[in-house]
Amino acid sequence: MGIRFILMVNKQGQTRLAQYYEYLTLEERRALEGEIVRKCLARTEQQCSFVEHRNYKIVYRRYASLFFLVGVDNEENELAILEFIHLLVETMDRHFGNVCELDIMFHLEKAHFMLEEMVMNGCIVETSKANILSPIQLMDKAS
Amino acid sequence: MSSQGGFGHSKEFLDLVKSIGETRSKAEEDRIVLREIDTLKSRLSSPNTPKYKLKEYLIRLIYVEMLGHDASFGYIHAVKMTHDESLLLKRTGYLAVTLFLNEDHDLIILIVNTIQKDLRSDNYLVVCAALNAVCRLINEETIPAVLPQVVELLGHQKEAVRKKAVMALHRFYQRAPGSVSHLISNFRKRLCDNDPGVMAATLCPLFDLITIDVNSFKDLVVSFVNILKQVAERRLPKSYDYHQMPAPFIQIKLMKILSLLGNGNKKSSEQMYTILGDTMRKCDSASNIGNAVLYECICCISSIHPNPKLLESAADTISKFLKSDNHNLKYLGIDALGRVIRISPDIAEQHQLAVIDCLEDPDDTLKRKTFDLLYKMTKSSNVEVVVDRMIDNMISINDRHYKTEIASRCVELAEQFAPSNQWFIQTMNKVFEHAGDLVNTKVAHNLMRLIAEGFGEDDDTVDSQLRSSAVESYLRIIGEPKLPSTFLQVICWVLGEYGTADGKYSASYITGKLCDAAEAHSTDDTVKAYAVTSLMKIYSFEMAAGRKVDMLPECQSLVEELLASHSTDLQQRAYELQAIIGLDARAVENIMPMDANCEDIEIDKKLSFLDAYAQDSLEKGAQPYIPEDERSGLSNISNFRTQDHESSTHALRFEAYELPKPSVPPKVPSVVSSSAELVPVPEPYYVAEVHQPAKSSPTVSSSGSSELKLRLDGVQKKWGRPFSSTTPSTSSSDTFESNNGTTRHESVSSTKSKVHDVSYDSRKQQPEVSSEKQKLAASLFGGASKSDRKLSHSGQKVLKTNNHGAHKDNLAKAASSSDIIKPRSQPPPDLLDLGEPTVTTSAPFVDPFKQLEDMSSSDRSATVANPPPNATIAHLTKQPSKGPNIEEFLEKDALVRQVGVTPSGTG
Repeated sequence: MGIRFILMVNKQGQTRLAQYYEYLTLEERRALEGEIVRKCLARTEQQCSFVEHRNYKIVYRRYASLFFLVGVDNEENELAILEFIHLLVETMDRHFGNVCELDIMFHLEKAHFMLEEMVMNGCIVETSKANILSPIQLMDKAS
Repeated sequence: MSSQGGFGHSKEFLDLVKSIGETRSKAEEDRIVLREIDTLKSRLSSPNTPKYKLKEYLIRLIYVEMLGHDASFGYIHAVKMTHDESLLLKRTGYLAVTLFLNEDHDLIILIVNTIQKDLRSDNYLVVCAALNAVCRLINEETIPAVLPQVVELLGHQKEAVRKKAVMALHRFYQRAPGSVSHLISNFRKRLCDNDPGVMAATLCPLFDLITIDVNSFKDLVVSFVNILKQVAERRLPKSYDYHQMPAPFIQIKLMKILSLLGNGNKKSSEQMYTILGDTMRKCDSASNIGNAVLYECICCISSIHPNPKLLESAADTISKFLKSDNHNLKYLGIDALGRVIRISPDIAEQHQLAVIDCLEDPDDTLKRKTFDLLYKMTKSSNVEVVVDRMIDNMISINDRHYKTEIASRCVELAEQFAPSNQWFIQTMNKVFEHAGDLVNTKVAHNLMRLIAEGFGEDDDTVDSQLRSSAVESYLRIIGEPKLPSTFLQVICWVLGEYGTADGKYSASYITGKLCDAAEAHSTDDTVKAYAVTSLMKIYSFEMAAGRKVDMLPECQSLVEELLASHSTDLQQRAYELQAIIGLDARAVENIMPMDANCEDIEIDKKLSFLDAYAQDSLEKGAQPYIPEDERSGLSNISNFRTQDHESSTHALRFEAYELPKPSVPPKVPSVVSSSAELVPVPEPYYVAEVHQPAKSSPTVSSSGSSELKLRLDGVQKKWGRPFSSTTPSTSSSDTFESNNGTTRHESVSSTKSKVHDVSYDSRKQQPEVSSEKQKLAASLFGGASKSDRKLSHSGQKVLKTNNHGAHKDNLAKAASSSDIIKPRSQPPPDLLDLGEPTVTTSAPFVDPFKQLEDMSSSDRSATVANPPPNATIAHLTKQPSKGPNIEEFLEKDALVRQVGVTPSGTG
């Protein structure tokens, strides 16, 4: 399955985007997000960008005030996921131009559309920025 | 583009997002969301809301759920929006639906129709949107509704559609493999798609398929190797490049597949060697993504049939990882080391100091990974050090999930490699004390059995020493608060069996301790059961030894309390205890023989010891016993039995009993047979019944023939096993587990390492200084490199104590001999840059073994100017050349972080 969820959470622990690739109830999500964010926030810059939590491995990366967290299972290449996060950020950068937390908040659906292109069934399916963004650009033009 | 983005966002939406963005506490956020829920409820219920407004409301609903509140009141509006003509609204509708609903939600049925329609759309973006939804919402039942269309779309002219159709099939395969088993060939076809995106997507389902069935896809090795080659040669469009690497994510996926296909298959593996070597060479080890690909190469190399050359370059990369200052790379290095170590065990030695640094690192992720590595490289020579470390670590962690894992690993390693039983028991005690409720109860029973059976040798004194030391340690521990239930059970059992065995402790002392334990854990019925049975054993042993038994007042009150217990099990035990105390010494000795827990209990099924008694009764005119199978012809009562005589007597019968015929010939009462018909009870019942057969038989037979009913007399005895079968044994204590109303209170012992120091551990590691580190390295890596795993129990029994002593000597020798060499390579990390001089000074201290090793890996050492005397020094000399690379890398990383995002404040 690979990727189990992708979260964007700010420094205060507030969720800015959440996409789960397996079903969790609202309560389970709430608890999981709280636990993970607490764990990751407590870590220093030098420490690994990977944290094991329950049966997940969390790969996280911080950009200014925003944390990107990806929950994966044991078979994933952690460093590659770390770079996948950066690819996502680069893609959003290309679309929004120097993306920030508020961009994602105001255009939540677009951030989700990008993720929909990049990850399906918990697998990375598309890594070409042009391919990821073209449907979104077409939709922007049409409306 | 400004983050304010006008894009038709209403002021309301902008205000909502801003206020959410500005909240500083969860409570404040909750207030905002609750207010928003009210607003949305009223807005959504009003008719004639313009569509563009509805889209915004949906996104606000997504916010509500994302922030942890229920938005189910608006789900239906999301479903409705999927019907919309406008692509943007439709896709937003689909997005909201996939975020809100799981695949079994009732509303899905309303969407399937829309999906079917959209899959036929002329607009490929609509088809894509529908396929996205298919991947999230279609469950096993609805697969047939869309399957034909999805298969058709595999041939769509737009690559984006083909890609998503492949993923939809992948999803179907995940949900119900059977539904697409006839379509596997489509995946093979799509692997050759002209579009690299479709090809890359196809790797996902193929990976899953190959994981399950390698053999059917062996023929694809060539294709995968070819694709990887083309990717590495930059034949893919530039847009797939990431940080100057050609399509690294595709490379990684391909190597994951190759490692599956090459695992244990020499022929397939040989086809991969060249490309793997090339890929490794081309990787840029200064970038994260380059290292990610390198790491994947190592994973692949260690999984396929080994190739010495590739393993060597893997080893080089691993040492680069381990020497890096970047913790992520160290982490990968430790992980990779754990993979390669299975193939070339001696590779660990050169990295021992790096490994120990990681073990002591405050970064718990790194530490945890290093413990994984230690677990993988444990052998009989280093098991004591590894398990000690693991236990120390286990005590310090709070995470239940991880604690359970590490506790079970300690148990596993101890069972496999224990150098002595003494050590095994001590180790188990520690594990139980600190994580007793997290380990399998089977482990507790193993421990009890081990203490009871001892070494299985003739030498009894060793066994009794072992038991005495167990008793002693348990007497010390038993008073501790918050001991895990399982551990208390073990303690009670051992104290009951062996508490008074060596005569060191008086019965009243032990029984007092047991009572205290039962009292302190009054909510734990299992512990109380163990305690009271142990009391019974101790009193029996006392009586059998001819001493007078004075029950302590607290024991008396405990027994009285249990006599009235709600747990029938406890009650039973208390009654038994009372009964035994009333018997004479000779009887007690037979009931509870000393130290007989390992003896098999022979069950005399024929009850031959009653022969004389039966004979007696017969002579007095009682009816003889007729075996069941011979009875059918004799009695009419058994008539119905003949119809289904196949069914055994003890099986449950589900059909109604026939009404008894009133014309039963009273001349054939056959007491025993009729009562056996009515109440099929196991043999012990008769033992209790036999007391007054003559008196009870007439009434039984008469009532039995007139109306069939349950006989309740004597039933109480059914629960009580006849006393003769309560001989102490481990197996009988197993049954205690299942008693009703057992409440286990979770007493995960909070980190009380002090307790554990004082109680029974003198060997605990002192806080490390650097020479200490060397010693640790020597004991972890230095010992004999035999990695043969022994079978758990047979292994333990074979080991003798004198053997153990010799073994320790070896260990000490190994440690001291490596101590002599090690000080040369001792300089702490900041001296690493000295390089050359260190090499020359250490030359005289050449270890012959190390030399041998160097000869075997001569080409590696040849690259260094001065042939290094040992591997550790090799890494010292290489170190300086690494310097600039790391700096460059760190700079890049910092740069990347800077260019990424600007702080939110600017918005």
